[in-house]
Amino acid sequence: MKYDVEVNGREGHLELRGGEFEYNGVARDYSIESSGPGIFSILTGGRSYQATLLAPGTIQVEGRIFSVEIFDPRELRARSAAGLSQGRQNVAAPMPGKVVRLLVAQGDTVEAGQGLIVVEAMKMQNEMKSPKAGVVAEVRTSDGATVAAGEILVVIE
Amino acid sequence: MFRKVLIANRGEIAVRLIRGLRDLNIPSVAVYSDVDRASLAVRMADEAARLGPAPSSESYLRIDKIIDAAKRHGADAIHPGYGFLSENAEFAQAVVDAGLTFIGPPAAAIEKMGSKTAARQFAIAAGAPVVPGTEEAIQSIDRARATARALGYPVLLKAAAGGGGKGMRRVDREEDLEAAIRDASSEAGRAFRNADVYLEKLVVEPRHVEIQVLGDHHGHMIHLGERECSLQRRHQKVIEECPSPVMSIDPGLRERMGAAAVRVARSAGYTNAGTVEFLVDRDRNFYFLEMNTRLQVEHPVTELVTGLDLVAWQLRIAAGERLTIRQEDVRWSGCAIECRIYAEDPENNFLPFPGKITRLVEPSGPGIRLDSGVYEGWSVPFEYDPLLAKLVAWGQNRDVAIGRLNRALLEYKIGGIRCNVSFFVDILNDPHFLSGDYSTAYLDGFYARKKAPPEAPELEAVAALAAAISRQKPAASASQPVSKWKWR
Repeated sequence: MKYDVEVNGREGHLELRGGEFEYNGVARDYSIESSGPGIFSILTGGRSYQATLLAPGTIQVEGRIFSVEIFDPRELRARSAAGLSQGRQNVAAPMPGKVVRLLVAQGDTVEAGQGLIVVEAMKMQNEMKSPKAGVVAEVRTSDGATVAAGEILVVIE
Repeated sequence: MFRKVLIANRGEIAVRLIRGLRDLNIPSVAVYSDVDRASLAVRMADEAARLGPAPSSESYLRIDKIIDAAKRHGADAIHPGYGFLSENAEFAQAVVDAGLTFIGPPAAAIEKMGSKTAARQFAIAAGAPVVPGTEEAIQSIDRARATARALGYPVLLKAAAGGGGKGMRRVDREEDLEAAIRDASSEAGRAFRNADVYLEKLVVEPRHVEIQVLGDHHGHMIHLGERECSLQRRHQKVIEECPSPVMSIDPGLRERMGAAAVRVARSAGYTNAGTVEFLVDRDRNFYFLEMNTRLQVEHPVTELVTGLDLVAWQLRIAAGERLTIRQEDVRWSGCAIECRIYAEDPENNFLPFPGKITRLVEPSGPGIRLDSGVYEGWSVPFEYDPLLAKLVAWGQNRDVAIGRLNRALLEYKIGGIRCNVSFFVDILNDPHFLSGDYSTAYLDGFYARKKAPPEAPELEAVAALAAAISRQKPAASASQPVSKWKWR
């Protein structure tokens, strides 16, 4: 099996062949055991590693945390399609929390860096700023709403 | 001893207190808000009582509901933990008025130490050195200007009722003073409903060292030595250790600071466990800062080094027993270091990161103590502070403790939410921290000094391999079925 991968934002290439895998041109032997969902013991080059899937896309190996995306050839088309809507910029919640202040409304003109919305979690307030100058195309939340990390709150066009 | 004790708190400290009570065979009553119904403390406690909706003002800060719960459950004492109502004199008095025992100092002592300006007066009266400054809240800008000029810049504005850095401002020049007073005062007003601020000389790059005291109702009080708390981010402690590295330079300092702390606490009629905070300057002069009239978050550090159980002593003292330890019996053995594990993202400006814990592997082994309030599958609510757990290591010396802590941090795996474990790995491998010669300014410069982590191609390859295997069908992996875990 061949995969395109992205580790900590860098693209790479992975190939699995029987008891061997090749990553970015370096071939290594390996043996892998899983004792449960997302928990792996990996032996390679005589060394023993514990790899733990912390969350989808996040793997911890020996105290280091890697963000890993795996792309199937079939998904490649979807990937490039995602890059099309360049003009619109989504502003997503960086953390789960509660919307304590909406600073803009749909149709407002905003400057790059202008505050759009304030989200509070654990007694800390975080103001999200506009990534570019433009117009507020959508406000997808409301004052007092509970939001999840990554949820799109405002769209700037 | 008590028949049953209600714990007016949540999170890891509620779990710590349930354990302390169970050690003495005393049943515990947990209280909870709606979002804490499934919390570890509620699951572990013998009994539990609902307080109300998530906001603290409708749950953990409701004196009436907490006392009512204690009565309904037949508890005869209340432990306030830290935060919430723990330093609220009105609460301590209400508990006593309800015929119950407050496990902590008398309401009058909380009141006396509750205002930083009043606490300063007690310290001065007790002969403890204080940072030069005004002892009263600022009344006029002209007086403030004159005071600041007399102290010499830089000066520090502080909230009279404050803590945690709220209402605190460094002022370097006279022209900034008026605006800084306005800012600090309005921030203090919002945070503590008391807008009073006062002026102090700023001690540049001080250490923050605190002394644990313990006193009974029969006039006996001792100190249990210091905790070094200089590692702070935005005035919040992140690492504490005992002994303070400064004690190796000046072994007599512990005794001098300990004696001063006991004098201050005595002068306020203090009993039970408390902490006297000091600043220590480069020349190892120390200045009284404030007194925390409760059990501290970082109390395990002292417990590991002295071998004394502070919670057990709090309970015994509150029940009227004598503190049977003499000052000369207290021994400090080895070194203990604590990391506060917070639900926050060190890769993204330490933004809080509550949410569901999808994976939890906790460290253990020689010299490791973990005081945790979470479990796998639990959702960390966003309404409260982000402290998940305290990881504490003990070793016969500082190097051994650091080695163990490093090892335990590598074993610790928390998934689904972000936490600051990797941040501690960075600190524990920083030569500046290892030297022990650091001040409260340490973390300000930390990220400027910090280099990108070294390349680790083999770890990266293993991570990619694990990611690829984890999305294959169960049959592709060696032994047990590998889940329906889906990739984004």
